[in-house]
Amino acid sequence: MAALDFDAELMLRVREGDGASFGVLLDKHRSSVVHFLFRMVQNHAVAEELAQEVFLRVYRSRATYEPTAKFTTWLFRIATHLALNALRDGRHDRSQERLDDDSGDLPVRQVSDTRPNVEQAMLSEARLEEIRRAIAALPEKQRAAVLMHKYEEMEYSQIAKVLNCSESAVKSLLFRAYEALRARLAHMA
Amino acid sequence: MVTPMNCPLETPETADVLLDYATRRLAPDRAAILERHMEICPACRRFADEQRAVWSALDGWETAPVPADFDRRLYRRIEGEGSWRERWFSPFRLLLAYRGVPAAAAACLVIAATLLVQHPSKPAPVPAPPEMATVEVQPEQVEKALDAMDLISEFNHKVRSEKPESKL
Repeated sequence: MAALDFDAELMLRVREGDGASFGVLLDKHRSSVVHFLFRMVQNHAVAEELAQEVFLRVYRSRATYEPTAKFTTWLFRIATHLALNALRDGRHDRSQERLDDDSGDLPVRQVSDTRPNVEQAMLSEARLEEIRRAIAALPEKQRAAVLMHKYEEMEYSQIAKVLNCSESAVKSLLFRAYEALRARLAHMA
Repeated sequence: MVTPMNCPLETPETADVLLDYATRRLAPDRAAILERHMEICPACRRFADEQRAVWSALDGWETAPVPADFDRRLYRRIEGEGSWRERWFSPFRLLLAYRGVPAAAAACLVIAATLLVQHPSKPAPVPAPPEMATVEVQPEQVEKALDAMDLISEFNHKVRSEKPESKL
């Protein structure tokens, strides 16, 4: 049997009643789960709500947890499942509102009054919105695959386990997704 | 010496090498082979350049930091859920405190199930249909009945022959 990854060991400790290990897991994966969910649904409130649900489910499942796969595979399977459900339930509708408002999802930047910087900030915001729209336009599974590949740096095999499909299906998903993104974003080089 | 390769764009099974190359995840030896191929394949070169452009564009998508109260809200939900479960399961806690009780209950269930399997209760008797009354019939009675039927038949025949219009 392959050696357990450290996260799986932590989860086994949580199963034994070690609450501190749950805290360690939360610290380690909180940001990646929230950011992945935000990029999926493109709404902060919904992403946070879903991320809370992900960790709540992890905690609830502690008694029956079996380390049959990498912990992150299991974690992102829960996150992807919840995100896809939210998108199908229509909670993503709010994402369009979110895209149109000008509150932005970036940390507040200090923009000085000098004109070139204002223009730069506006250009940067326009590019960001173009990226968001391009990602939002991808079919849900392609979107999930791209986000896991690009931002979580997952291997094809791990993405396949998360999406419950074959590795060749993942490659095909990614190929089509990047093809669509190239058509929309390649000019941004 | 770098071995030449088939064009990845023309062989879908190996197209992922282009993605891996553009995302800098391709092993150096395979990257060298692909670079050699791209010297003579403008389509693959363009693909790799555009893919790199997309990759760096996506790098620009930063997200806001996680709110500081994320953990507090999560732990509050976990505690809330714990107290909810306690409320529901508290009536059984006393029962579960005595370790012998659940074991005895389980044993009783097993015994009852065994008894049921070994001596299945007899199905309730289906109420028998009411018995047909058996009546003894004498040969004279049969002859009388046949005579009567003949008489009725003759009578009907006569009635019909006397009133043919009545059929209409």
